Amino acid sequence: MFATLAGKALVPVGLAVTGFMVVCCLILYSVIRDDLHRSEVVHATNLADTILKSTRYAMHKSDRETLATIIRNVGEQKGVDHVRIFNKKGSVTFSANPGEINRQVDKNAEGCIVCHKGPVPVNNLGTMQQARTFKNPEGLDVIAITAPIYNDPDCSSAACHVHSQSQKVLGTLDIGLSRAEHDRSLSMLRLQMIVFSAMSLLLTIGGVTALLRRNVFLPLQRLRNYVESSSQKNKLPEPPPRLPHDLDIIAARYYQAKMDAAVQKQYSEKMDAL
Amino acid sequence: MRFGDGMTALREQQVSDVIRESEDGADRLRQELIAEINREILRLQRFSTRGVLAMALFLVISLLAWWGFPFLPAPETATALLGKPPSARIISIALLVYTFSALILSLARMSAGVEHRSSFSHVGFLASFFLFYYFGRSLQENYWAVFGAGITILGVESYRIWSFCSEVISKKQEDRVYVTRTGRPPLE
Repeated sequence: MFATLAGKALVPVGLAVTGFMVVCCLILYSVIRDDLHRSEVVHATNLADTILKSTRYAMHKSDRETLATIIRNVGEQKGVDHVRIFNKKGSVTFSANPGEINRQVDKNAEGCIVCHKGPVPVNNLGTMQQARTFKNPEGLDVIAITAPIYNDPDCSSAACHVHSQSQKVLGTLDIGLSRAEHDRSLSMLRLQMIVFSAMSLLLTIGGVTALLRRNVFLPLQRLRNYVESSSQKNKLPEPPPRLPHDLDIIAARYYQAKMDAAVQKQYSEKMDAL
Repeated sequence: MRFGDGMTALREQQVSDVIRESEDGADRLRQELIAEINREILRLQRFSTRGVLAMALFLVISLLAWWGFPFLPAPETATALLGKPPSARIISIALLVYTFSALILSLARMSAGVEHRSSFSHVGFLASFFLFYYFGRSLQENYWAVFGAGITILGVESYRIWSFCSEVISKKQEDRVYVTRTGRPPLE
């Protein structure tokens, strides 16, 4: 295969085009996945902010029933895996899942360690650092955001339940969103890219193969057949018609050389006879 | 025996000595030429495996990258020492430009029939891409892109080196037949 003209012409082109297209698709897929992940984090962060702003008034008023209702309603929303609020000590005070309330959370657990790895907890985190992804007990992918509930001036000065001004963080909101839709989009994208790449490759390699076969390999085959047949027959056939210009010159030169040799041979035979 | 006969015999002896010496010289030249061609064929045979060896080395490095370079310091240690690494997107753009340039260069060398020993340098470039992604903490997401680029570039390079060597070896074998037959150096 590698020794033939077709192999020599097509193998490196096929390899280079296929490989480059695969690399492009892999990089593009990676970039799109990264973008989707970023937008997912931004969406989850916005949702967490919305919940914090919605619950702010209830927190001010220390209206625990309204707060619990809001958290429960948000938790019932499609695509929300969990919503919970932790207090400063790390125990769940509100949750969409009633079984979790008053449960203590390990500060070394994923999502907590980001802030609690040092002796003094980190107060401010970037948007991307607040996010974590993991599999829930049902084995489904979840993206979770841990948003701190800061101690604003109106919290520390409120008449109802005053927090000390030195306390920077009052608790955290933890919201987890299902990644099923994200995974579905990615698998669709993967499938589309594979189909698109396969079609482009088939078209490119098929096109190159067809053009080479039509314009190079078939005329070469005709020229080869002509040379082989002319060496077997006594009468020299005419060169094959409609060859590409370069091959036509070769065929004409060959025909002329053979004709000259035949004339020379006839002349020598006549001279010998005399 | 007359004096003239003695002179003739001496002259014949001298001529036959000269002929024998020139025959020995031609034979020696032929042997030297054949030995030189054989050495060149051997060198080309060794050189033709260069692409495959580079590919094997790349596969070993890929395996280490797959295991997350267990012998290297953690990315945090390196970034604390060297500063913030470039983003994964910038590394990906560089990888794309590098892959494109390497393929174009390799195809150009193939069409020009140039003997160029570049395979192992490509392994170095590809290993540095693995390292950049590793220190940028995005190796897992971009592993297959580097692996695909490596297989493609080294595959084309291996083919280029192998086809170049095959052509030159068959030419050298023809030269050897010519030298054995005529005792003269090849025409070029």
